[in-house]
Amino acid sequence: MALMPDSPRPILSPLSRRQFLATVGALILGAGASVFPTPATAFNPQRLRQSMQQQYGTSGLAVLEAWFELLERLRRQGIQTQLRDVNDFFNRRIRWVEDIHNWGHEDFWATPLETMGQGQGDCEDYSIAKYVSLKQLDVPGERLRMIYVRARIGRSQITQAHMVLGYYSTPSAEPLVLDNIAPSISPASQRTDLDPVFSFNSEGLWAGGSSESRADPLARLSRWRSVVERMQSQGFI
Amino acid sequence: MSLIKQLWLAIIALLLLSFVGSLAISIASSRDYIEQEVRIKNEDNATALALSMSQLDKDIVILELLVAAQFDTGYYRSIILRDTANNVLIGRSASEYSGDVPAWFRSLIQFNVPTGTATVQDGWRQFGTLELESQHSFAYASLWRSMLELAGWFLLAGAISLAIATVLVRGIKHPLVRVVAQAKDISARRFTTIKEPRTLELREVAQAMNILSANVHHMLSQESQKLDELRRDLQHDRVTGALNRDVFMGRLASLLGSDDVRATGLMLMVRVQTLEQLNEQLGHQATDNLLRALVQQLSQLDGSSEEALIGRLNGSDFLLLLPLQESANKLASLVRHALEQVFEQALKIVAVDTPREMVRMPAAIVAYTPHDERGTLLATLDDALAEAESDSAHNRIVVREGQQGSLFNNHVEWRTALNKAISQGPQLAYFPVIDAHNNVLHYECPARLKLANEWQTAGVFIPWVSRFNLEPALDIAVVKKSFAQLAIDPEHKMGINLSIASITNAQFVTELRALLEKQPQHAKQLCFEVPAVLNAHAIGSLRGLCTALRPLGCQFGIEHVGAEFTKLADLHDVGLTYLKVDSSLIRGIHTSNEQQTIVRGMATLCHSLGIQVIAEGVVEQAELDSLFRAGLDGATGPGVRV
Repeated sequence: MALMPDSPRPILSPLSRRQFLATVGALILGAGASVFPTPATAFNPQRLRQSMQQQYGTSGLAVLEAWFELLERLRRQGIQTQLRDVNDFFNRRIRWVEDIHNWGHEDFWATPLETMGQGQGDCEDYSIAKYVSLKQLDVPGERLRMIYVRARIGRSQITQAHMVLGYYSTPSAEPLVLDNIAPSISPASQRTDLDPVFSFNSEGLWAGGSSESRADPLARLSRWRSVVERMQSQGFI
Repeated sequence: MSLIKQLWLAIIALLLLSFVGSLAISIASSRDYIEQEVRIKNEDNATALALSMSQLDKDIVILELLVAAQFDTGYYRSIILRDTANNVLIGRSASEYSGDVPAWFRSLIQFNVPTGTATVQDGWRQFGTLELESQHSFAYASLWRSMLELAGWFLLAGAISLAIATVLVRGIKHPLVRVVAQAKDISARRFTTIKEPRTLELREVAQAMNILSANVHHMLSQESQKLDELRRDLQHDRVTGALNRDVFMGRLASLLGSDDVRATGLMLMVRVQTLEQLNEQLGHQATDNLLRALVQQLSQLDGSSEEALIGRLNGSDFLLLLPLQESANKLASLVRHALEQVFEQALKIVAVDTPREMVRMPAAIVAYTPHDERGTLLATLDDALAEAESDSAHNRIVVREGQQGSLFNNHVEWRTALNKAISQGPQLAYFPVIDAHNNVLHYECPARLKLANEWQTAGVFIPWVSRFNLEPALDIAVVKKSFAQLAIDPEHKMGINLSIASITNAQFVTELRALLEKQPQHAKQLCFEVPAVLNAHAIGSLRGLCTALRPLGCQFGIEHVGAEFTKLADLHDVGLTYLKVDSSLIRGIHTSNEQQTIVRGMATLCHSLGIQVIAEGVVEQAELDSLFRAGLDGATGPGVRV
């Protein structure tokens, strides 16, 4: 190295060094905070309104407000009324279309917000919306099951994959079927057009706190988990 | 805590932090990954099994077979099928796998995997719940193994990092140690210089201190130069540069009276016979040139000393001392040649037709030995010179043998006798060196050797010792003898003479050091003195010797410092304890203001380097008083008694 001339050197004062460290620390904290935002863990009407406003504008917002009113009205009603009115609400408001027409690809599972915003949906969209509404009315989760069924259309022999929501008053009981093909609720034994295949619900997914499944990157791999996650971010659960 | 220790602590702390940190991170992420995989497997397998069961008849044997088939061919801890009332219908479970994983590691990792559950349908109704748990304890083993592997790699990486760190720390430590040593040297007034380190901060410090040392060196050279000029004015003949009569006589007397090495040799007297005539015919200028040429030629005859001891006794008589020389005849031929040279030069100066007879320079040679009478010697020389003058040849040289002959007749006898005497061991004389309050600083201990059944002083045997290169052997013998003396009387500090030949001899230095290290309690009582006739090589050797022996507590001094005082500037980083001023500057100091000025100047300069100044050859009490008034630290000589 060459001999240093006697020129004054820039001096890092202790204060500026401290400021520097503080800035770096703040940046790191900020970055951490933006990577891990605080998760929303509960039903949040305000957030739902915001999400709806952003995605579907005032028309969607009107449906959402109607839904809030429905929930408010049904909160103190009996279970039969709750089931019937929720079933009717969605069967009337939502137009049935195939996913491919609604979303551009097959078998898209929409959240109630997306269903209400679009005003149309597929069988599983009805089921999910009804499921969430009833859960919101404090119907115990283990009594509600989404059921894959084989449906015969009309009197023909044409069958189609379909999904309905079943209400089990006890685990071993015969369920009541909330369907969008037949608009009224009926016991499962009367639905001879439907063959049950398999059922599931969100028990174990929502149990114990939803934040865990939210941080789980694998959630997006399963349709069911994916829709659960989107519902959380939109403010349903 | 030292800087180096702090560096090491920081390095080790960093290494540990990165080691433990990355181990923890890698284990934590592996654990998360495994947990996730097992959870997905639990859920998927439970759903798949429940799906199959839903499609079958709910015959308990079929269901059990299904569970068994799944359980037996897969990796499960348990598969349980419960009915809607939560009663176990079918259950299979296995014990946990436990490899060689320590319990603490298991409890540290503690997988937390939820059971996979799925509901089995029987038509519209729920038949039961399937609970499924995968076998995941093997994951403990694999995690444990991977942790051991990682730890191994980290140990390797750590070892390499430590090796690199060692090199780095050494790169900092060595220059740091050098800088600290230099700072210590400077605080002890040894103005050393060091190679500048590469580290910026250290380099700046080293530069500053080097500049300081250089400044001190420069200042010392200037000051000692001035003092030397002063001394020259005082002691030397203005025309020829030879010593004045008084000064020369003083030196001669102290030399003859001392135990010094140089107390044996030859003495040459040359007379410019026709000086007045030359003055008249050639003029002062030319004559002065001739005399200058004569002194110059004569000085060259003495190859052993730094400055030839040549004096102008009166206008035409020049006296040269040639210590350590023995062969008068050899010298005579050299002198003849030198005088021819002078004549040649003289011919160049004066007109070409100057007759050869005009410059007549008869000479006389006589040998001197210790304790010869000065008067007798001069009388012998005068007599011889008169004989030479009376001869018609223009450059006649008369040789007179000394009154007393040599102890031995030939070299073989000398060598045998010296070897015997050295192996017998020398005797040490004690001459006190005192300070102003009459305290003994140390004792000067010149060696005596028993030759021809008598203890002889250095002046007798040193010329022969140096001829046979026996100085190192003699000096070692003296040091051994001094140990023996110190064993009897450990209080006395002893001044031991070392010859230049010894200190420039690597083997001697090694031997001396080994000797001193064996007796550290005696080593610190020793003061080593070397004569002032030091060339650059000898100064380097002296510096090395001082550095090597200083830790043992030895002191170093230089004796007979007179004309050579200008070298003090080169000695500023040696770390001398004292300097002994030659008696030629001390004799009659109470009568000479100039001498006092010179000695006072020397004392001031030396004190600025932390060196004590001691006067040699003090004879009278008046001299002693005058010396201490001039600020000297000590004195020795015939006039000094405890």
